[in-house]
Amino acid sequence: MKLSRVFFITGKGGTGKSTVAAALALALSRRRPTTLADLDGRLAAADIVGAALGDSASARVSDSLEVVALSQRAELHSFIKRIVPVSAISERMLRSRTFGYVTAALPGLEAFLLMERLRIMAGEAALQDRHIVIDAPASGTALELLAVASGVKGIAPAGTLNRLAAAVEEFLADQGLFSAVITVTPEELAMREALDTARVLQKMRIEVAGAILNRSPLPLFTDSELRVLDTLGEHRLLAHRRVSEREAADKAREHLERAGIPVFELPMLYRAAIGAREVSALSRKLAAAMIAE
Amino acid sequence: MSSRPPDFTRFRVVVCLGPGGVGKTTMSAALAIMSASRGRAVDVMTVDPAPRLLDALGLEGGASEPRPVPLDGLRAAKGKAARLRAMKLDPKGTFDALVARYAPSAAARDAILANRIYRNLSNALAGVGDYMAMEKLLELASDAATDQVVLDTPPAAEALDFLDAPRRLLELLSSRAVTLLGAPAGLLRQFRFVDLAARAVLSAFDRVTGLNLLSDVQAFVQGFEGMYEGFADRARRANALLHASDTAVVMVTTPEAGRIAQARQFLESLGKAELSVKAVIVNRAMAPLPDAREIASAKIPAALKRKLIRNLADFAALKERESRSLDALREAMPAGASLILSRELEHEPRSLADLASIAGRLTAA
Repeated sequence: MKLSRVFFITGKGGTGKSTVAAALALALSRRRPTTLADLDGRLAAADIVGAALGDSASARVSDSLEVVALSQRAELHSFIKRIVPVSAISERMLRSRTFGYVTAALPGLEAFLLMERLRIMAGEAALQDRHIVIDAPASGTALELLAVASGVKGIAPAGTLNRLAAAVEEFLADQGLFSAVITVTPEELAMREALDTARVLQKMRIEVAGAILNRSPLPLFTDSELRVLDTLGEHRLLAHRRVSEREAADKAREHLERAGIPVFELPMLYRAAIGAREVSALSRKLAAAMIAE
Repeated sequence: MSSRPPDFTRFRVVVCLGPGGVGKTTMSAALAIMSASRGRAVDVMTVDPAPRLLDALGLEGGASEPRPVPLDGLRAAKGKAARLRAMKLDPKGTFDALVARYAPSAAARDAILANRIYRNLSNALAGVGDYMAMEKLLELASDAATDQVVLDTPPAAEALDFLDAPRRLLELLSSRAVTLLGAPAGLLRQFRFVDLAARAVLSAFDRVTGLNLLSDVQAFVQGFEGMYEGFADRARRANALLHASDTAVVMVTTPEAGRIAQARQFLESLGKAELSVKAVIVNRAMAPLPDAREIASAKIPAALKRKLIRNLADFAALKERESRSLDALREAMPAGASLILSRELEHEPRSLADLASIAGRLTAA
């Protein structure tokens, strides 16, 4: 797989975005300094790599891996501080209930400022030869986020904001800088959503680096073995379940590949807890599959 | 924490809240079908149903008003006719209707509907969908011919996003802000400092964006001046409805660790908002596992037995993971709420019968 500067991890809710983002960041950080950016406020990916963020916006996990928490609200705050230089006014404004006007007057502004921040981070990362892995929101919200720059261009047909929006669009379309990774699990709905997401991304001219087919089981049983199990009631059902999950994984792979998306499988981990050791194991699988040079 | 699942069919309103992707829409539809099959006249309002679910409910092409769902094949309780209607929320249309209802004149209505800020608001501002879901709920619940309204809610990062939506929107429309932005500059001295700050920020935005936001916002809030009371009244009534004793707030989640963590945050927020949660439904819970001894006594090759034992051990690990999640959830359960499991289906729900079987298999944890 071609390595872009920024990997934007999205997918249907519950398909393992945060785990995949954490594993990919770990994998990349073995080669180059890497930043794991958490956009969802729950800091799930940060938790997985063991970053203790507390109240601060960034934390270092190792020499080559740092975690940053980004939020739309924080970006809007810093933007307002920039454009209203009288700090007494901007400070009061940020605490006031009339704050809502700003977001109402320009819907998508907060999301846009977040994208602008990512663009700047990517530029810095390119200079320092670093990678950025973004634990992005679920596909619907993520696509809105990625489309926000063109929306802002429509709302602000001229001026500074318009120029910034054009720059964000250019950043997203630059395959060396930005690519999306879609997480998917062996389920019909997750696969449909991954295909829809890929289609929209391709239409937006955003590179889809690949789909991570997460929780793919080994089939374990052959067809002839399944036939022998007829008398075994519930064990038979459990064996069938294993096999049908494998079939669903194959089907997802087939559909995604047919849509031109490279598929990378991560195994289903039959463990009572997913901890640091499991994520580290996943990161090695990813490294072998995706970033072997 | 009570041990028996509540009888959802007896509530006037059932609101399903929860993290995204846990099956809120499916659960809303399942609960509605359960009530309908017991002879209640039920409306279910969905927000963003998956295509299969749209098909199952007969909502292809969208229905912004309740549309009857044919219940062929589903048996109603003896002697009672089941009635189920389903709709898909149309936030923009609902907002437009609300404006039309409260606008003092046709000219005022048209001015608002054409205002750029309004057009942005009704399809882009987070929270408008939430608010409109509440508004529509109020409308459906006021129909005396309807016994129960089941409401699916938009995906939210925070439970309170939904509950808080009317208040946030009202703040935006409040009359104080109207006086501020509409006032001639000479009078501005008498307004609070923060209001001046709003004005300063908007003018700064005008410089940066090349737009005329200040005047757009002025026109927008002035347009709402005569309607504010009407909106505020609706919001108060929606809030009262949510807190009513015959309203059941139901939280839906899945057993996956990340979702349970989110669910716990939701429960905490709901507690702070003094909204009592009647039940937490854990969707897609695993079924009990079979007994390993059945493998030993089976007449099958030893190699196959080993595979079966491994398969069972693998699923047992997943079951253990689930039970740890449920323990974490139990710690956060509010007083008086039941913890309910909804066992996973072998396939995604495709039909009314699938949805009915989900409701039929709810068990107390």
